[in-house]
Amino acid sequence: MIKPSVELIMAGRRQRRRRWILVTGLLALLACILCCAMLLLGNTIYPVTEVIRALSGEQILGTSFAVNTIRLPRMLAGLFAGFAFGLAGSIFQTMLRNPLANPNVIGITTGSSAAAVFCIIVLQTSESVVSLASVMAGLATVMMIYLLSNRKPFSIGRLILVGIGIQAMLDAGISYLLLIGAQQDIPAALRWLSGSLNGSQMHELPPLMITVLICTPIIIILGKQLSLLELGDQAATSLGVRTNTVRVILILSSVCMLAVATSVTGPIAFVAFLSGPIAKRLVGSGFSNAFPAGLVGVNLVLGGDLIGQFAFETRFPVGVITGIVGAPYLIFLLIRMNRKGSL
Amino acid sequence: MKPVHLFKVEQVVAGYDHKTVIQDVSLVVPSGKISVIIGANGCGKSTLLKTMARLIKPSSGQIILDGKPISQFPPKQLARILGLLPQSPVIPEGITVADLVGRGRFPHQSWLSGWTKKDYEAVAEAMKFMNIIEFANHPIDELSGGQRQRVWIAMALAQQTDILLLDEPTTFLDITYQIEILDLLTDLNRKHGTTIIMVLHDINLSARYADHIFALHKGRLVAEGEPSKVITSTLIKEIFGLDCIVIEDPLSGSPMVVPKGRHHVH
Repeated sequence: MIKPSVELIMAGRRQRRRRWILVTGLLALLACILCCAMLLLGNTIYPVTEVIRALSGEQILGTSFAVNTIRLPRMLAGLFAGFAFGLAGSIFQTMLRNPLANPNVIGITTGSSAAAVFCIIVLQTSESVVSLASVMAGLATVMMIYLLSNRKPFSIGRLILVGIGIQAMLDAGISYLLLIGAQQDIPAALRWLSGSLNGSQMHELPPLMITVLICTPIIIILGKQLSLLELGDQAATSLGVRTNTVRVILILSSVCMLAVATSVTGPIAFVAFLSGPIAKRLVGSGFSNAFPAGLVGVNLVLGGDLIGQFAFETRFPVGVITGIVGAPYLIFLLIRMNRKGSL
Repeated sequence: MKPVHLFKVEQVVAGYDHKTVIQDVSLVVPSGKISVIIGANGCGKSTLLKTMARLIKPSSGQIILDGKPISQFPPKQLARILGLLPQSPVIPEGITVADLVGRGRFPHQSWLSGWTKKDYEAVAEAMKFMNIIEFANHPIDELSGGQRQRVWIAMALAQQTDILLLDEPTTFLDITYQIEILDLLTDLNRKHGTTIIMVLHDINLSARYADHIFALHKGRLVAEGEPSKVITSTLIKEIFGLDCIVIEDPLSGSPMVVPKGRHHVH
C-alpha cells in the first residue's frame, strides 16, 4: 500500500509549508510596521491623520516637507535596498553553497564604493555620474573576480579567496583616496563606506525600484532550478537543469540589484550576508528562503536605521548598526566553518 | 516493464581541458541489463560514465540514445529517460529526506507548479523501495552513510528514468551496506527492467552483480561481455597489472579474483 506513505510525506510537507507561510507573513507584517514607523517618527512626531493627508498630496506646512521629501524617500530607499541586499545575498549563498560566498565578503559592494569615492574625490563628478559609476564598477568587479577565479574545475573556495584579495586592494585604494581627498568631499565619500539612508532623494529611487521589480520575479521563477544547483552541478545537470544558463541569469539579476541598491544607499554592512542565514533559520528547510531573506533584509535595514536614528544621543547611519550586528556573526561563522573544515 | 532503449557510445574521445582520457570508445549498452564498467584508477571509467550522462562533452564522437545524439535532446526530456547518481552530490543543510527525494521529480514538473499526486506517489514509492520511508520527515544530517546513499538512490528512482547511471555507488560504505545497495539495484533491475550502468571498484562484486562487463584500460575498451567470459587472469593482468588466479564464487558461480602477492604466491 502506497497511501500511508504518501500521507506521511504530505503531512510533513504541509507542516513545513505552514511554517514558511506563517514566518513569511510575520516578516512582511513587521516590515509594514517598520515602514509606518519610518514615516511617523522623526524630529517632530506628526499625528497619523496628518501624515496620511500629507502622503495623499495635501499641502500641510511642515508636515508635507518632512514626510514627502525626507521620510518617504528614506523609507522607500530602505525598503527596496534592504530587499535587494537580502534577496541577492541569499541567492549568492545558496548558489555557491557557502555562506561566505557573499557580495559583502567577496567585495562586489566594495567595488561599487571604490568607484564612487574615486568619482567624488578625484573626478568631482555630479551625483548621477557617481551612481552610474558605482553600478558599473560593481558589475566589473564581479566579472574580474569571476575571470580570475575561473580555472577548471570551478572552485568556490578560490572564488572567495580571490574576492577577499580584490576587496583588500579596493579597500586600500579607498583609504588612500580618503587621505588625499579635500576636507569638504569627505562626508559625501564616507557615505559610501558604511551605507546610510540619510539624504535619500525621491529622484534617485526609480532605477532601484524598477531593478528590484524586474529581477525579483526572475529569481523567484528560477527557484526550483536554484534548489537543484544546490545539489551540485552534476546532479543538477542530470536532472535536466541548464546549469550554466541558470547560473548566469541568477548572478546577473542579483548583481544588478546589489549594484543599483549600493548606488542609492551605499553598502549597508552585512545585510546581504546576514539575511539568508536568518531567513533560513526562521522558515526552516524545504521551501525557498529567497523571498523571506528579502523581507529579513528590509527589516534589518529599516530596524537598523530606526535604532541608529533614535536609540542613541548621536545619530548613526544604518550601516554602523548592521555592522555591529553582522561582524560577530562573521567571526562565529568562520570559527564554525573552521571546525567543520569546510573552508 | 520499461521500454527498450538503444543507448550507445560511438567513437567517443573525451577528457578534461587538454588531457584526453577516453580514446575512441564505442559500445552498445544492453537494454534492461546491469552493466558494470571496470578498470584501474585513472583508466577513464568515471569519465566515460560522465560523458554518457552528458556531464562531459566528447571532443569527438557521440553518445546516441534511440538514434539521436543526447546533446540534441531538450534537457528535461532527456532527464526523464536517463538519470545519473553522481559520486559526491552535495546535501543542502537541514533538508529533509522527502524533500531531497522530491527534487528527483524536477524533469516531470512544469515551471512553478507544486507537487502533483503523481509526484507524491513517485517519491513514496522510491522511498519505500529503498526502505527509507520511516525517515521521510527527518533531516538528512541525522542519517548514517549507508542510509544517505539510499536517499540519493531514491532521488534517482523518483526521477523514474528507464536508464540509470551510477558513479561508484558503494564507495565509502561498509561491506554490509555495499551488498545492501547492490541487492536493491538488482531488485530495481529485475522488477522494473531499469537499465543500469555503473562504475564499481570491487572486481568481485562487479563479477557477481553484472550481467555485462565493460573493461577499460588506458581509456580504451579492451574487453566486454558476460563476467564469466571476460574476467580471466589474463585480463586482470592486462588492466590491473596484477597476478591472480580466477576461481568460481561458491555462492553465485560468478568468477572470483584471488590476487597473488609476494608473500602468497603458492
